[in-house]
Amino acid sequence: MIALALSILLSTDTLATSSHLIDEVVVVSAATEGRKRSAKGQVASIDEHLAELSHVNLVRRGSYAWEPVVNNMATERVSTTIDGMKIFYACTDKMDPVTSYVESSNLQSILLNSGLNGNPQSTGNIGGSLDLKLRKAGFVTSNLSPLTSHLNVDAGYESNGHLQVYGADVAVSSRRFYTNGGFFFRHADNYKEGGGRKVQFSQFQKVNAFANAGVKLTTRDVLEGTFIFDRATDVGYPALNMDVAKAEAFITSLSYRHSWYEGFLNSWETKAYYNHITHIMDDTKRPDVEIHMDMPGKSWTSGLYSLVSASNGRHDVQANYDLYYNRLFADMTMYPGGAAPMYMVTWPDVGTLNTGLALSDLVSLTDNQSLKVSTKLAFQTQRLNNDEGYHALEVFFPGMKQSYQQVTGRIAANYQFSLFNSQLSIGAGWGSRAPTVTEAYGYYLNNTFDQYDYIGNPRLKNESAIELNGNYKLSLFNSQLSISLDANAFFFSNYIIGQFETRLSPMTVDAEGVKVYYNLDHATIVNTSFTTDWKLFPWLTWNTRLAYAVGRDDQGDQLPLISPFAYTSGLTFAYKRFQGKVEVRGNSKQVNYGKKYGETRTPAWAIGNISGQYMLSIAAHDLTLRAGVENLFDKRYTTYADWCDIPQKGRNVYVNVSLRLTP
Amino acid sequence: MNKKVMTLFLAIASLGLVSCNSNDDETGIVIDGIDLTKDVDCCSAEEALQVYKFIQTVKIIPELSTEVDGKYEVWAYTKTGTLHKGYNDLYFVVTKKKTGNYVKYFDIKNITPLMHMVKMDMWHSTPVGSTFEVFDTTRPAVKQGWVSLLMNTSDAGSWQFSYDIEVLGSKGGVQKQAIKVDALPDGQDWLKNFKIGDDTYFLSLVNPSDWKTGKNTIQAYVSKKSNPITTPYALATETFTIEIDPRMPDMGNHTSPDNTPLVKQKDGSYTGNINLTMTGLWRIHLTVRDAEGNIVAGGDDLKDGFSSLYWDVTL
Repeated sequence: MIALALSILLSTDTLATSSHLIDEVVVVSAATEGRKRSAKGQVASIDEHLAELSHVNLVRRGSYAWEPVVNNMATERVSTTIDGMKIFYACTDKMDPVTSYVESSNLQSILLNSGLNGNPQSTGNIGGSLDLKLRKAGFVTSNLSPLTSHLNVDAGYESNGHLQVYGADVAVSSRRFYTNGGFFFRHADNYKEGGGRKVQFSQFQKVNAFANAGVKLTTRDVLEGTFIFDRATDVGYPALNMDVAKAEAFITSLSYRHSWYEGFLNSWETKAYYNHITHIMDDTKRPDVEIHMDMPGKSWTSGLYSLVSASNGRHDVQANYDLYYNRLFADMTMYPGGAAPMYMVTWPDVGTLNTGLALSDLVSLTDNQSLKVSTKLAFQTQRLNNDEGYHALEVFFPGMKQSYQQVTGRIAANYQFSLFNSQLSIGAGWGSRAPTVTEAYGYYLNNTFDQYDYIGNPRLKNESAIELNGNYKLSLFNSQLSISLDANAFFFSNYIIGQFETRLSPMTVDAEGVKVYYNLDHATIVNTSFTTDWKLFPWLTWNTRLAYAVGRDDQGDQLPLISPFAYTSGLTFAYKRFQGKVEVRGNSKQVNYGKKYGETRTPAWAIGNISGQYMLSIAAHDLTLRAGVENLFDKRYTTYADWCDIPQKGRNVYVNVSLRLTP
Repeated sequence: MNKKVMTLFLAIASLGLVSCNSNDDETGIVIDGIDLTKDVDCCSAEEALQVYKFIQTVKIIPELSTEVDGKYEVWAYTKTGTLHKGYNDLYFVVTKKKTGNYVKYFDIKNITPLMHMVKMDMWHSTPVGSTFEVFDTTRPAVKQGWVSLLMNTSDAGSWQFSYDIEVLGSKGGVQKQAIKVDALPDGQDWLKNFKIGDDTYFLSLVNPSDWKTGKNTIQAYVSKKSNPITTPYALATETFTIEIDPRMPDMGNHTSPDNTPLVKQKDGSYTGNINLTMTGLWRIHLTVRDAEGNIVAGGDDLKDGFSSLYWDVTL
């Protein structure tokens, strides 16, 4: 009898399959119940989609190309892959996180693995790993219609900054072949902060085109190709001294997948890929430029991975081998009026060859217990291909080598136990990362955040961290109320951060000084969050999320860019085809701020947002209208993650329409 | 057979020549009509090849080239085939007129650049290297020396050069040969002077145009003004230390770390290390100390806080 009761309870537990370490935001297709997506639908920018993920914050240097921060760790400690492909940003000032080189229309979803339990292709993912899943039309599986096709058209407008968004894409699928492709265009003028003042140099324009195709060679063998071209022009960065004339990416891949329909092995996919990024900064539109500078950067990456998946009901195993070669080059030419130009290599054409083997196993121990173990070992060799850059850096590190090798690895385990209406999950892991090119070889990179010039340190040791995490979820009142408590802690060794070097002289006029990257003996970052999800009525849901984080260095001082106490609370109404949401978001005053690292205290803020969505279906065609107001009360505010305290958008009214035509 | 001649043909396509090599000094060689066979005064084939290669990297100064006794041709070279204000390396090569062979043994003496100052109708000399030495051991037939010219040719004055040469007992040279001295471009100032009492000293910076971003050896000579001033200025016999503070005036006086002072070497030159973090104009502020460590020149704090004695080098 007890056993029966237990089994009923367990079978009604919808939480059992989800892991708190994995979070996903859906970009296209009708949102399925319980899945996250931006209120703006597929017209939302990648950054707005990313903002929906828990554990994620975004650093803003303008209104474009925000930098994802996972578990209060930025790009250096986060892996970002596009469908498993490695891609590296090309701007020495981090103006172009790689998420800025894709568009919403390219993507099916964005998957986040929090912490060290990364996706198989990720390396160096102490904070977490983001994988941007490309949207492929896929093959027709039903026998009813041998050929399907559809056309999506999106258009959006936002009052603040006159943001215009237009996109269209088509997809054609058969049982043996599919292809889809489309265009996307965004244009924005300078936006207005709360109170109505214009934020100069916050404009941008972006065009994006993509195409995917797949062909079934046999019933078990699939060949797929993907292609993305993305170009942003005239992008303003109000938080920086420069803007961007052009940021252009070309991303392509070809993969082959064999599937088995019975037995232990499920599929074996091998993908070869290539991408390159050209990034051109521009200060010609800024007034009062003391010295005009050219600062181009280039990144190109070529690689492959081969992933075997297998399962037998008890084990869910993945084995992945990957190899990539990346080259990063950036230089700077300064033109003092009338005098000789000054030239320096800021990224000395660093070639990185990285290869790794990853294994993961999700073991179903019993009906209500599971264990996930993942591990990766990677070897990396780096060479400074530019002699001028190498000799320049040698001034600061006499006797440095022209090539370096690193071995990195990670191992993480997560145990999950469900009982009655609650679920407990605990995990532990260890992982290391190699210093980034900026941290190891960057040369006089000015950081407007703390006004220091940064020099890389080729003698850095690998940074490593032990992660502990735990999560407890409780479902009450027949699953109408769910409460979740989540915490993780990262105990770093050799934490890499820039430190003031008094004997060096800055290059940038007005800079405070020079910082060189060093390993701190240890540092700690702890993230906690509390979430409730309460279905008050069938048509009304109340969500609340509270998050708090702490970051300390080896002296017990605050690390910079750690989120203050943050809260979100919203009511979602659903009535027939209408969905609406009222939401309050805010941060408390930043009590713990990295004063030692040049951070300033950000005051508390709170804003209100409303949004609504109406969906209309005529025959097989869908029309979705969305509208909303962000920052309803036109508050002037800035968050801790706003570079140099640039203000956020003031009141913004948006409206967009998505049309899906299926002939 | 006392002449064991091993002949080895080296095909040097790029130079378009065929040379012969031998284990002995008594060598047979053919370079473009040059015949080195059995000439004890001249280079071995390998040496001749090195000389030939070297002179591809420099250019002839016709004004300072001459003939001795109708038997020898004397060729003077600089890197550019011209002279400019400040330090110039001078190279000499002598060939036998008949065979074209490079002569190994010759002496160059009394190099005397003189400047005629038009307004005052006055003549003065300039710092020079005291001797012409074998440039390096692989090229025994190339002699190297230097002159450091105080001014460029202009309406204010012009230069004449003289030197003596002795080649295998024959004497000759160049007397009061007029030659043009070019100015350096803006942002290049490689020759400075300072005074101790009534004595004037000159600081000649050696070939900064060879510098690159990164760590460089900085070399200079300290010469003392002669009396009479028409005598070439020889190296100062005193020992100084020259401290350097390289700055970029266009870049908020940015500087580089770990520069080391120039100290006197056995050959009379001063060398140290200079680190250059980028290209552009570098103003190398100088503090000159005597053997006791007293500041004798520069090292003064002007209102911008840097020594008023400096070299300018633009990379």
